Amino acid sequence: MLKTETNELLTETGPGTACGDLFRRYWIPALLAEELPEADSPPVRVKILSERLIAFRDSDGRYGLIDEFCAHRGASLWFGNVRECGIRCAYHGWKYDIDGNCIDVPSEPENSNFKSKVKLTSYPLVRVGDILWTYLGDRESQPPLPEFEFCQVAPEQTFTSKRWQESNWLQALEGGIDSSHVSWLHSGGLKSDPLFKGAKGNQYNLNDLRPFFEVAEADGGLFVGARRNAEDGTYYWRITPWVMPAFTMVPPRGDHPVHGHFWVPIDDHNCWVYTFDYHPTRALTDGEVSAMKAGHGVHSRNIPGTYRPEENKDVDYLMDREAQKRGETFSGVRGIAQQDASLQESMGPIVDRSKERLVSSDTGIIKARQKLRKSVEALRDEGVTPPGVDPAHHRIRSAAIVLPQEESFIDSCREALTAQPGVAHVSV
Amino acid sequence: MAKPILANACALAATAEEAAYRITREIGSRAALILALDPSAGEVVDRVAERPWGAARFFHVAALAGDTLERELADADVAIMVATADADGAAAESIARACAERGIMTAGLILGEQVDVAAAVSALRPYARNLMVTNDEDDVAEVLRALRA
Repeated sequence: MLKTETNELLTETGPGTACGDLFRRYWIPALLAEELPEADSPPVRVKILSERLIAFRDSDGRYGLIDEFCAHRGASLWFGNVRECGIRCAYHGWKYDIDGNCIDVPSEPENSNFKSKVKLTSYPLVRVGDILWTYLGDRESQPPLPEFEFCQVAPEQTFTSKRWQESNWLQALEGGIDSSHVSWLHSGGLKSDPLFKGAKGNQYNLNDLRPFFEVAEADGGLFVGARRNAEDGTYYWRITPWVMPAFTMVPPRGDHPVHGHFWVPIDDHNCWVYTFDYHPTRALTDGEVSAMKAGHGVHSRNIPGTYRPEENKDVDYLMDREAQKRGETFSGVRGIAQQDASLQESMGPIVDRSKERLVSSDTGIIKARQKLRKSVEALRDEGVTPPGVDPAHHRIRSAAIVLPQEESFIDSCREALTAQPGVAHVSV
Repeated sequence: MAKPILANACALAATAEEAAYRITREIGSRAALILALDPSAGEVVDRVAERPWGAARFFHVAALAGDTLERELADADVAIMVATADADGAAAESIARACAERGIMTAGLILGEQVDVAAAVSALRPYARNLMVTNDEDDVAEVLRALRA
């Protein structure tokens, strides 16, 4: 349960909000690199943290992210022409460079300096891995670029997709922290999904539907361990890291690629879910990439040409009651991503957390909210840099491991929970 | 089967406007027992206990006399053990066994740096279905508030 004012504090991320200011201390995904594949690509509308922007790539291949609307009459630059190192408004031809500087006002005399007085808001846009990252905060507080392992490995070892989720970012993130729902909502996928099946750990999951949970602090966020009984005297641990504010990883299964998410507010009622899979020591196989593109694992099956999942609210998520009856899916919705999204969207655009009835297995969510709230308040009241800004906090991993019952997962897995280039992830 | 025709009969009803039609329900307090397993944890629990709570009850395990625990557990639905590095593992075990017999959920909050409380974590792990290791004393109150204790 959260007080209404705390719920608002953590869910509102627009300009001038406290949580919005927090997000504006981090590099966050703005779009996939595939959306701007080459120099002078068509511009892309980007809405992020409730700001409407336009992304484009100039004739030199440089990325720009600027105010979507022309300073002249407020027309959208999405209709604009991208050529000769700038984007030109389709209405009256005003032209801007990647930094938002107006570089041509055709209606003014050729020797006029009026254009030098016009500038649109602009933000840096930088490619790291498959993602174009942006930073919407003050330039003097801009941190080094992100160092999450999924975007540091070679291109053939990683794959990222994205999908639109019609809910506030926080209820999507909380799904990534809350592993207690996996044994129910996603039970069907463990047996059949090509990106999960065959791992020995799956059997531990299926044999013990009442895991114990353990939450431990991390420098950048939290580790949430879920333990189940394994062989005599041992526990099977699945360890989920959360790096503030919006990065989570799913514990791996066997030698399958390891995956996770970045939950990015579009506005207070919508978010982008960036979903990645990577393998630290080998290229992804064609079969694995095909499966990811087809919406298996934690990816979504999107409507061609869009980042909207086929199973969306307009079509009741393609509910299949027969598959539900046969036990192929627990909720009747296909695919892990949309199984999560369908339930999280059903809670409403911003769930009223003052009416929840949490239980102690929600401890991970309780602690994450507390850590988030304290960080928002510390930044707002004292200017304290929040956890997760330092790239050192990004160098983490999830893990799945069998340990003697007396061993602490956090002590025994320090190396396993640290990204190590060229070293395989710890997985069962 | 009939196709849904009203707005509320499909997934599109997940709007803020439709949320106004959700039925208001009474949500009572959680009958939580908060049990300090060692003197340092007792000091924290005493401070937390001074705040206004619903049905939460606070105890030092070392001070529980006779059948107090059994009586208090009779109407409890969650037992939260609070410990520091000096946690009494035997007390945690007896509380957990009593809770297990009655179907009462157990949770553990261990206060301190991870490296300092490893022994306490090991002692509580078998008995607390949900365990949090934290160096922030506020987490005790935070968890209780979240659970509506």
